[in-house]
Amino acid sequence: MNLSGILVVVPPAQVEDATLALNALPGVEVHHAEPATGRIVVVQEAETVDEEVAALSRIKALPGVMLAEMVYHVFDEILPEWDAIPAEMAAS
Amino acid sequence: MELSRRNFLKSGVAAATAMAVGIPISRVASAAAAETEQDWRWDKGVCRFCGVGCGIMIATQDGKIVATKGDPDAPVNRGLNCVKGYFNGKILYGKDRLTQPLMRMTDGRFDKKGKFTPVTWDQAFDEMAIQFKKAYEEKGPTGIGVIGSGQWLIQEGYAMTKLMKAGFRSNNIDPNARNCMASAVAAFMQVFGIDEPPGNYDDIEYTDTVVAWGANMAEAHPVLWQRVIDRRLGHSDMKIVNITTLRNMTSEGSDLEIIIKPNTDMALLNYLAREIIQRDAVNQAFVDAHCVFCAGPTDIGYGMRATDKFAFEAEKDIQAREVEVTLTRDEAIGIGLDPEQVHTIKQANAATADRHWLVGFEDFKAGVAPYTLDFVAELAKGDSEESLDAFKAKLVRLADLYADPKRKLVSFWTMGFNQHVRGTWVNEQIYSVHLLLGKIAEPGNSPFSLTGQPSACGTAREVGTFSHRLPADMVVNIAKHRDITEQTWKLPPKTLNPKPGSHITKIMRDLEDGSMSWVWVQVNNPFQHVANANHWLKAARENDNFIVVSDAYPSISAKVADLILPVAMIFEKWGGYGNAERRTQLWREQVPPPGEARSDLWQILEFSKRITLAEVWKEQPIPGLKDEGFEEGKLPDVMAAAQEMGYTPEMTLYEALFETPENKAFAWPDPVAKGHDNHTVKHLGVDWFVEKALFEEYAAFGRGHHHDLAPFDVYYQDDVRGLRWPVIDGKETPWRFNAKYDPYVKNGEIEFYGGAMKELVTGNLNGPTTEEKTKFPGKAKIFFRPYAAPVESPDGNYDLWLCTGRLLEHWHTGTMTRRVPELHRAMPAAVLDMNEKDAEARGLKRQDTVWIESRRGKIKAVIETTGRNRPPRGYSFMAFFDESVFVNKLCIDATCPISKEEDFKKTAIKIYKV
Ligand code: SF4
Repeated sequence: MNLSGILVVVPPAQVEDATLALNALPGVEVHHAEPATGRIVVVQEAETVDEEVAALSRIKALPGVMLAEMVYHVFDEILPEWDAIPAEMAAS
Repeated sequence: MELSRRNFLKSGVAAATAMAVGIPISRVASAAAAETEQDWRWDKGVCRFCGVGCGIMIATQDGKIVATKGDPDAPVNRGLNCVKGYFNGKILYGKDRLTQPLMRMTDGRFDKKGKFTPVTWDQAFDEMAIQFKKAYEEKGPTGIGVIGSGQWLIQEGYAMTKLMKAGFRSNNIDPNARNCMASAVAAFMQVFGIDEPPGNYDDIEYTDTVVAWGANMAEAHPVLWQRVIDRRLGHSDMKIVNITTLRNMTSEGSDLEIIIKPNTDMALLNYLAREIIQRDAVNQAFVDAHCVFCAGPTDIGYGMRATDKFAFEAEKDIQAREVEVTLTRDEAIGIGLDPEQVHTIKQANAATADRHWLVGFEDFKAGVAPYTLDFVAELAKGDSEESLDAFKAKLVRLADLYADPKRKLVSFWTMGFNQHVRGTWVNEQIYSVHLLLGKIAEPGNSPFSLTGQPSACGTAREVGTFSHRLPADMVVNIAKHRDITEQTWKLPPKTLNPKPGSHITKIMRDLEDGSMSWVWVQVNNPFQHVANANHWLKAARENDNFIVVSDAYPSISAKVADLILPVAMIFEKWGGYGNAERRTQLWREQVPPPGEARSDLWQILEFSKRITLAEVWKEQPIPGLKDEGFEEGKLPDVMAAAQEMGYTPEMTLYEALFETPENKAFAWPDPVAKGHDNHTVKHLGVDWFVEKALFEEYAAFGRGHHHDLAPFDVYYQDDVRGLRWPVIDGKETPWRFNAKYDPYVKNGEIEFYGGAMKELVTGNLNGPTTEEKTKFPGKAKIFFRPYAAPVESPDGNYDLWLCTGRLLEHWHTGTMTRRVPELHRAMPAAVLDMNEKDAEARGLKRQDTVWIESRRGKIKAVIETTGRNRPPRGYSFMAFFDESVFVNKLCIDATCPISKEEDFKKTAIKIYKV
């Protein structure tokens, strides 16, 4: 599981609308908002990092979003087992 | 995970995020953050990826990275990271990480045609040494080479430079930064006499105008771009201009987008210079006090081989231009010749392309005189669907912005200028514009060269890992610089080789023509990133060459290697980077490397144990060496002198160069480690702090010589987030050359104190007219450089431009970013972005798979007409990260003849349906 903290910035007047729109996205929760500056902190939960990157793109595409960047990332995965020769090297 | 625990973790993540970006939160929330992180060890680090140099914080637990965050205290990024920065913690854990040395073998022995087989480090180094000695004995110091990197840690680059130049007496060491920054470097040296930019990122918050020239900042330097956008939000007068050959993400945030034809940036800059003069906007007091005017030869070729012996049949017509070229009509006008006549020019100055001489202001003025609005607009307009009048209006607006004396202005540029057959010239021209206006070296007024790689400045340039350089801006072909270096390194006189070595493209050519046969690659992927790759892949695999590649993942270079050495990555070792604004940042080893992987530094030092002084400090052949004090074609035997200094012939290079008494004085363990490990020291089996000793040894070159670094330990203090060199009396230097900020300024308010090339003969635009040299200490040069056409342009057969570059999600050749499988999928395979009408005209539509063919090869790819890059008609773009598409097989290996940097932006192609 991957958890990311993302900073979203919208024009101050749109903080409420943006909060609604963000909460409607799958796996996204708005946790903090600062109406004076238009800054919103959301947490994104996803099974894979792929889903997270896709989710970030969705956030960036919401109306009014001027900035959406990941700030914090928690990795909750198990170390891979490494082969002495990666499969694609054995072939070459 | 149970619900309550997960909710709790989420509150912690949210609180930590808010705190990182400075949003006030409740005490309960901050307690949640503290509890989430309670068992983690946090430490500061630097992003592995681009030259912006964002600070990140890394949390580890049980030898593994468990969390990362943008560093809120880092002045560069203030808590933010881009998507790539975010994956710093992921790149260590790709499934196909290399964890053991691999050698091509058959029946238990090295065999060039054999299969990769796991071997021990001893077996690996033994074979590497046998092959090294074979090449070295046969061909001498020029028969071996190293391809290094702008991602090398400072200490790695330094150790390899010392091993090559002092140990092997070979200057055939060159970083991939050659293909990234070399044009910027050459221009810095020619204009200011010192490398690295006068300004810094803070200029963004002081300026009224940002002009991006050939720099898709929104994709390539995202966090910096964010600062630009933020500045506009808070400053109503702010204007942003994007000068580009295609519409890209940077256009979206810009007030003015100017789409130009390839290479016409040079004409545009001359138009600006002409306008500044015409409008009487020259800052005369500044120019009189601080500048001189210069010109140079124009018959300088394109950095290709002068022979077609190795060229593919289809390449020969272009290659012939290295010997002789017929000027285009526009080139003739641009140098004041009659365009109705045919002008055929021999490339007489190909080998002396960097020559230049003083001229007068009137010469400069005459030089830029042909660059009228009419001439330049006609020549430069890049979008055939835009009207000439609309385009002219844009150029006038651009000139208005530059010429307005009240407006502060930052010009940013990167690969569009640097990867350019006249890359040095165009870098010089932008300085000319800023110098004429006096808009330089003060907050908000800054010509700023962005770098691609995290330590292009800090390692590749400052350390001097180029084939012609020594540390602290010194060069191998100046006797005084060799003397200083020999003294600092305690070498016998004349150990160092005065003849500049092979730059990166030439190393590839040397492998092809047999003049070099042993190469060691570290921290980069040259067999993918050097243009015209089909030649070099063949040279690596089919000629009797031994290729060693230190890598973390199976890159193309690893695959063509004979021996692969698995490396420790970024936070698995102690290290340091220097970013584009001269900021040095150091970090501790955070986690152990996997399996048998070891730092590049450990590999350099271990290999140096296998070579003795007797083998290298004897007489050596250097073909073509001609230098005062040296016998022609030879480096002298220095062993006798060495013995007088206490060296013995049996001593290894490790003992002579690295494990010196001075270095051994830096003890490990050291309190600065705060309990962090050091696998390099551990596996060397020593009790001295290798990274600290080498850092301090290196820093001695720059201290007192314009490149001062702080003591090693200072960078590890909790309240330090990197320091911008020169660091003097504990204080960094935000703006160079300005007495208010820079203690090196001794005379007046502004002083361009760089010392290189500050004495020249005088002449006019056609050449020198005197032999007497004039000194002009403290001054910068305003160069006149005419428009030059690209060496290769579309014609009836190859009828489309191809430009290559980077994407946000990927980084360079993708060796690391493609290992994060999710990133890979976000942008799975490189596509060819082209104009919809061009596709239609060829009977194609988006998503069609096509053959793309140039004179140098062909590849298959999918075309896209609605992507985020929107080329005008006649132009196409492809990112170079994707090894399965391998666009560099198509690109021409022409270079700027001064900087030797390749032009990846201008190849002529044709496309047709598969
Ligand atoms: S902008 Fe560059 S340095 Fe900053 S996080 Fe992104 S890749 Fe890393």
